[in-house]
Amino acid sequence: MLLGLLLLTLLVVVPLLMVLLHSLFPDDTFDALAPLKVLSDPGLITIFWNSIALGGWVVLGSTLLALPMAFLSARTSIGRHAWLDVVLIIPFMTPPYIGSMGWILFMQRRGFAEQMFPAVAWITPHFFSLLGMVAIMSLHLFPFLYLILRNALMRIGGSLEEAGSVHGGNMFYLLRRVILPLLLGSYAMGALLVFVKTIAEFGTPATFGRQIGYYVLTSEIHRFTSSWPIDFGKATSLASILLGACLLFWYIQNVISQKYQYKTLGGKGMRTRLIPLHGWRSIFGWGYIGLLLLFSIGIPYFSIIVTSMQKLRGDGLAWSNLSLEHYVELLRPGSKGWQALINSMGLASIAATVAVLIGTFLVLQMGNLKRWSQRSLDMFSLLPNTVPGIVIVVGLILLWNAPWMPIPIYNTYAMVVLTYIVFFLPYSVQYVKASAGQIDHSLLQAGRVFGGQSFYIFRRIILPLLIPGILAGWMMTFTISARELVASLMVLPPSMQVTATYIFSQFEQGEVSLGMAMAVVSVGLTTLVLVVMNHLGADRK
Amino acid sequence: MNAMKNKVMKFVSWQWSLVMLLTLSSVLTACGSNNGGNNNRTNPIVTEKPAITQSNEQSDNKESAKAPSGKVVVYTAGPEGLAAKIKEGFEAKYGITVEQFDGTTGKVLGRLEAEKSNPIADVVIVASWPTAMSMKADGWVQGYAEVENADKLQAGWVDSDYHLFGYSASALGITYNTKLVTEVPTDWSDLTDAKWNGLVNIPDPSLSGSALDFISGYLNDKGDNNWTLFEELKANGVAMAGANKEALDPVITGAKSAVMAGVDYMAYSAKAKGEPVDIVYPESGTVINPRAAMIMKTSPNVENARLFIDYLLSDEAQALVTGAYLLPGRADIKAENRTNTEDIKLLNYDWNWMSEQGETISAQFLELFK
Repeated sequence: MLLGLLLLTLLVVVPLLMVLLHSLFPDDTFDALAPLKVLSDPGLITIFWNSIALGGWVVLGSTLLALPMAFLSARTSIGRHAWLDVVLIIPFMTPPYIGSMGWILFMQRRGFAEQMFPAVAWITPHFFSLLGMVAIMSLHLFPFLYLILRNALMRIGGSLEEAGSVHGGNMFYLLRRVILPLLLGSYAMGALLVFVKTIAEFGTPATFGRQIGYYVLTSEIHRFTSSWPIDFGKATSLASILLGACLLFWYIQNVISQKYQYKTLGGKGMRTRLIPLHGWRSIFGWGYIGLLLLFSIGIPYFSIIVTSMQKLRGDGLAWSNLSLEHYVELLRPGSKGWQALINSMGLASIAATVAVLIGTFLVLQMGNLKRWSQRSLDMFSLLPNTVPGIVIVVGLILLWNAPWMPIPIYNTYAMVVLTYIVFFLPYSVQYVKASAGQIDHSLLQAGRVFGGQSFYIFRRIILPLLIPGILAGWMMTFTISARELVASLMVLPPSMQVTATYIFSQFEQGEVSLGMAMAVVSVGLTTLVLVVMNHLGADRK
Repeated sequence: MNAMKNKVMKFVSWQWSLVMLLTLSSVLTACGSNNGGNNNRTNPIVTEKPAITQSNEQSDNKESAKAPSGKVVVYTAGPEGLAAKIKEGFEAKYGITVEQFDGTTGKVLGRLEAEKSNPIADVVIVASWPTAMSMKADGWVQGYAEVENADKLQAGWVDSDYHLFGYSASALGITYNTKLVTEVPTDWSDLTDAKWNGLVNIPDPSLSGSALDFISGYLNDKGDNNWTLFEELKANGVAMAGANKEALDPVITGAKSAVMAGVDYMAYSAKAKGEPVDIVYPESGTVINPRAAMIMKTSPNVENARLFIDYLLSDEAQALVTGAYLLPGRADIKAENRTNTEDIKLLNYDWNWMSEQGETISAQFLELFK
């Protein structure tokens, strides 16, 4: 227990405290109001509001996209198509900076859209606005909300609604008094996560936002920490503000979901009424799904794949302009891209393995969450999910590169692994916790009755039951680490690139086509890992 | 029942603590030693050996960590292809491992600043001469008077006490898309014309050292902090767009028609590839900015760093420089694939003034264009 707390304190809490501390000592003198003073700069307060407004719009956008989809999948015959769930994860798994690059290449002047349909030229310039940015980010984040809403809708089950209609409620009454209140708790959680992910997002603001002049906290923090003139004081102040905002919204979400928490799972069997779709309803439903897939996957991936195969960027769309030369260059053993790929895979598997071990260890220590120490374990381990990645990285750098730090891991591979672990610990904790929560105590008692020793019970009962969660956590951590950008940009040692930084630096100073080829390869590889692991029996999310 | 469960948990957690500690420590040391192995190749022979024997060497090396290490850490601002070739060439010639960080001038400076308390870089190359001068003024770098071939450098491309070595240079011009531009602009002010509205990019001076040099050089030439041109450009929809490549790429694809104050070597190499772009140097003159290589004052591997500087000025590396469409640093070497130094008209500017004003100008420019 103590070890767990110690570990988390070192990994998560201290770095965040370093950020706060640093922002309170702008010129080596204590100033409790320093972070707030930064906000008195009119330029920076605009940036703060930009972040908040963006978060709000994206929550709205992804709700509009996710709600109908969740309804179609939970309540109609469309839900029987299990492949949809896998496909709908793809947008969320696409690194945002690549997705938005795809959109830019598609919509820009003389981009792919104008080359295919010259008539759209009047509308494409309007895409380069806040609206476009919200659209790109909503299309990236909606799967998240969709999964949460769908699961909630499925849990509500038909019986509660039937009970409602037996007592004479009409459809709107049911919607208002039964379904919506039951959904609200889950929705609050999903919306908050979308909000936090939006204001913590770096990729889209760095690519699309910069083009339209929409600057947010994350892009400014990155600017202050990595380009001339460097200002760690301002960066940490902004980071503290970002941290504060996230924690505040987290608290609000907690209040809402506690107020609207109901036990919808009973011991009785559940019947969910699936509405069969026929005729125009079917056309409508499938039409919606088609459009959603077109916008969230079709367009960005079209741009990405075409760009990765272009011989000459200046020659646009033409069959004669396509070749696989960039893939050949990329996959040539020994090339920079190849090394980046190997690095990514290696780092991601080490990070995922360690994160899952720590995660399992923590979950076992959390037990029943009754004592404060167990609850704080839970809270700290989920903290990295609530705090923007860029804030954590700043903290980790401040901590591990401090002159008094005895463990010299800064500027080594270990630092990258450590950062990934801290970043994605919440995923392993959540997945393992979900598995652990399903183990009934009676199983352990049964083991005891038949004379099993503690270790025997752990080995033969607990561990096997935890395996699906552990696998799912590993898979998730692996996939996301392999595509991680912010941390990689800031903590990678010299001479080392991973796929994400390779792609980013190709956009910045090299060959865009080569970068896109890398995007295709790395997304493809990680998706392959997902599919294989899924096949091996990990839980379907 | 609860008591029993607690007991299970206790046992389990004890088990896990042990497992965790073991795995964590083994993973960390594995990473550490792996990296240490790369760092500590004491002699060229090690690099020649097959990978399997290397692990033994590593443990040997770890014990003699104080011995002079066979590496040099170079932070360099693009172009990436050239940097990679120089690294390869140097490693092949001296058997010293080069650990390289590729970035833009801004990124390199940012990284140095972030690592101020724990410096690891030996050689730093930035794409902006004034920035290098201010680094020297701030006491970041050290001199190397015995450098070979310094006398052959272009006039003014090395400072009087041998801190800064301009081993290559780029000139700034207007790169345009040849499919879209029929009337080629002849001077900077042409871009303020209404027909260019919304069609021009300029690199972000906080990310591109060369763009900053152009802006400060231009202001220096016009005198009195005359921002009129830039205000008119802003009014004409000129967009600030990342580092050099990010500013150029939309011109290649046709999303924009021209990039102003973009580095010329990128235009030449894109043109050589067959992309529809070309470059023009404006009539009123431009800025040529030598790319400065420096040895950090805190350099842990000074001897290797000096070898690296020597290498940069050698015939071999200068040939790599011209191969990358950059201007060679040495006056006795001519580039055949591009306009040479003496054929480019320059604005009237003073590096000292630019170096002093650089930071203010960058901030002011960002404020204007953001």
